[in-house]
Amino acid sequence: MTAVIRTEKLTKSYGSHRGIIDVDLEVQLGEVFGFLGPNGSGKTTTIRILLDLIRPTRGHAFVFDIESSANPAAIHQRIGYLPGEFTLYDRLTGGQTLEYFGNLRGGVDKAYQAQLIERFDLDPSRRFREYSKGNKQKVGLVAALQNKPELLLLDEPTSGLDPLVQQTFFTLLRESVKDGGTVFLSSHILSEVERSCDRVAIIREGRLVRVDRVDALRDLAHHQVEMRFAGEPPVAEFKKLAGVSDVTVENHLLRLRVLGPITPVVQAAARLSVTDFLSREPSLEETFLAQYGREAATEAPAEVK
Amino acid sequence: MAAGAGAPHIAASIHRISFRSRIYGFGSIYGKTVRDSRLSLIIAAGLLGGLTLAMAAGVSKVFPTPADRLSIDALIGSIPSSMVNLFGKPVGLGTLGGYFTWKYGAIFAMGTALWSIMALSGTLAGEASRGSLDMVASAPFGKRRIALEKLAAHLTMLGLALAVLAFACVAGSRLFGDAALGDTIAPLSAVGFALWIGFIALFFGGLAFALAPILGRSGSAGVASALMVLLWIANGFDALAPLAIVSPFHWLAGHIALVGMYDWPALAFTGVMALVLLAIGVEAFARRDLGVTAGLSMPGLPAIVLGVRGSTSRAFGEQLPRAMSWGIGLGLMGALVAALVGTMASQLGKDPNLSSTFSAIFKGFNLTSAGGWLQLYVQLLLIAAGFGAATFVSKWASDEQDGRLEMILATPMARARWAVSGGIAALLAAVLMTALFAAGIGLGAASGGVAVGDAITGSAVLGLYAVAIVGIGVAVGGVWRTSIAAEIAAMVVLVTYLIDLVAPPLGLPDWVHQLALTAHLGQPMVGRWDPVGIVACLVIAVGGIAIGAWGMTRRDIV
Repeated sequence: MTAVIRTEKLTKSYGSHRGIIDVDLEVQLGEVFGFLGPNGSGKTTTIRILLDLIRPTRGHAFVFDIESSANPAAIHQRIGYLPGEFTLYDRLTGGQTLEYFGNLRGGVDKAYQAQLIERFDLDPSRRFREYSKGNKQKVGLVAALQNKPELLLLDEPTSGLDPLVQQTFFTLLRESVKDGGTVFLSSHILSEVERSCDRVAIIREGRLVRVDRVDALRDLAHHQVEMRFAGEPPVAEFKKLAGVSDVTVENHLLRLRVLGPITPVVQAAARLSVTDFLSREPSLEETFLAQYGREAATEAPAEVK
Repeated sequence: MAAGAGAPHIAASIHRISFRSRIYGFGSIYGKTVRDSRLSLIIAAGLLGGLTLAMAAGVSKVFPTPADRLSIDALIGSIPSSMVNLFGKPVGLGTLGGYFTWKYGAIFAMGTALWSIMALSGTLAGEASRGSLDMVASAPFGKRRIALEKLAAHLTMLGLALAVLAFACVAGSRLFGDAALGDTIAPLSAVGFALWIGFIALFFGGLAFALAPILGRSGSAGVASALMVLLWIANGFDALAPLAIVSPFHWLAGHIALVGMYDWPALAFTGVMALVLLAIGVEAFARRDLGVTAGLSMPGLPAIVLGVRGSTSRAFGEQLPRAMSWGIGLGLMGALVAALVGTMASQLGKDPNLSSTFSAIFKGFNLTSAGGWLQLYVQLLLIAAGFGAATFVSKWASDEQDGRLEMILATPMARARWAVSGGIAALLAAVLMTALFAAGIGLGAASGGVAVGDAITGSAVLGLYAVAIVGIGVAVGGVWRTSIAAEIAAMVVLVTYLIDLVAPPLGLPDWVHQLALTAHLGQPMVGRWDPVGIVACLVIAVGGIAIGAWGMTRRDIV
């Protein structure tokens, strides 16, 4: 695999304010990589370092094996970028804005640009200041996509988009990857990352806390299992199984949580007279909250000290 | 809906960028910056060229005969050294070029420098603070090129404006001047004059450009503007004489191109210094984090001023930093001027011929008294106070422009109340600015042995004018839209200034001059108040806010 993005101990501090600390990342060619974290966790800082808009305090960032601060122009030639917060030129129309950003990259395929405008259902004749928040975001997205970049760096790209346009956007991402592109997108919305990404990195308070495949994260989840028995549920049979917790009984209904592989629970249920079996696969959001929310909660008292 | 919008990396039919759009349009950063600056160019070239022609016509009317010219020439050698240093050596005052350079040269140079300061402080820092520079900087070329293209665009516009100025000098001297009296200005002289103005402008613009990546737009513009005024005044004020050594006004004292006196090495040196500052700006932009500025930290403000309990105190808290900046700047200027005028008046009072000549040049001002000199300077400072008021209007308007107004009006606050609260806060800002100016001029007057009472009470005229401008701006913003309120207010200030400046020397009908609000403010520095002007200013201020509040209740929120 070829790493399109690679960071080594990437650190940025803004005086006394924390930016990011020792971030090590690798994004492979052809993947959609989600960069997930709460507000202020360091997502935008990381992206801006990748583009050499800001310089790291320590460590290195490489895009296409080029160190970001060494030759940013060579990197910019091959990327499309959407900032998290931007205001473009109030007096220009959407069309003029797209023309300008297309020209800054050496010209644009007008037919492709028109397709994007059509697919995003954007009216390019209106002035930027007259656009709604969602339409401003569409202008930014078309500007990022219109030059068919090899790497898309998107900072909270779905902000302000309605669900239909979000669907169009994710379709375009898949098309980009199918045609050999790579996508690095940041988000604080877990369901969005779950839906669109192959791998995800979770950043919290400037530090990477986990990088894994979306599937792997889901595998780590606490499965919520419900079993209905004809008679009294055999509580002891399940309590002794590895990973089982929070076992409760309500009439003939047994509820329990399973951490890790669910196979032992299924095998035990198969030996017993189960009339109904329900296992709910948790969303990534629930996984995130279960794992990292607990960590934060357990750390909170320490901070109070 | 088109399926499969195409593959990345495959250049289909890439639209070719035309040469025209690269130099004017959306084909490059340079082209877009030139396009964005077209209105500034029209205003700057119009002012520089138009005023030059107007002054050329005016001089021939005020001093039409050889005898008049000889009386002007008599000024040479008898003008106080402080004035010589401030306005430049009085060489060839009897000619159009000499008179024009001495009376208006410094004003032209500083006005053009202000344009450069505003343009070069904002071209990168302004875009960075707005957020659009992130997208521009992700284009496939380095930050140095972005800075250089932006810089090249400003140099182009400055060059064009100065070319218009040079042309107007040559054309004005031929159209209105008297060749027999030595009025004809040669093209080389006009170019030398334009370069003198251009290099001074670029020096201070370059300073703003160099500071902008560190201090941000407003900080760099403020520091560069303050230094420009300080280095100009340092030429004429003994206490600041050590500073004059770093002043381009001092370096170029021997370059009076319109009378054929050239100091090309000094001009080249100023140009090189300007280039050094611009190069520092490019490097600072390339090396520093984008959009991360240190800013200028203001002293902490008392909580009661920044209170959040009421809309007026909150709005005043927002206005306070800029009110203090304008007030401190004007106060320093006032202090320096007030400390200087006593000497000027006494020197002029000793020579009746000289004083009568000055009376001809500065009609209506008794320059044998310190109050008369203060009044002359106050007339000049009215434009600064007016622009200060326009910035207060801009701050008031930003509530709607930045989207805060929607949240404010979602509370039980009525639209009219918001307009009135914001308007009152802007008026209070004008009052604070005036109070600081009065304090400065009072201190200067005391140190210069000039009557302090008249100087302090006379300062109120700046405040009266400023509140009237606030009223106009709030009325425009309330009735029409806030996005143009500050621009219209600034335009009123500019037009008023031009009418006041141009109408008397051109001999325009009196009613034209009376259109300027500043023509109705009397001469309060010598104790002559004009009640009509006072009432007019107050009515415009209060009425403007009332009209603005009414307008806000009738239109859509943008």
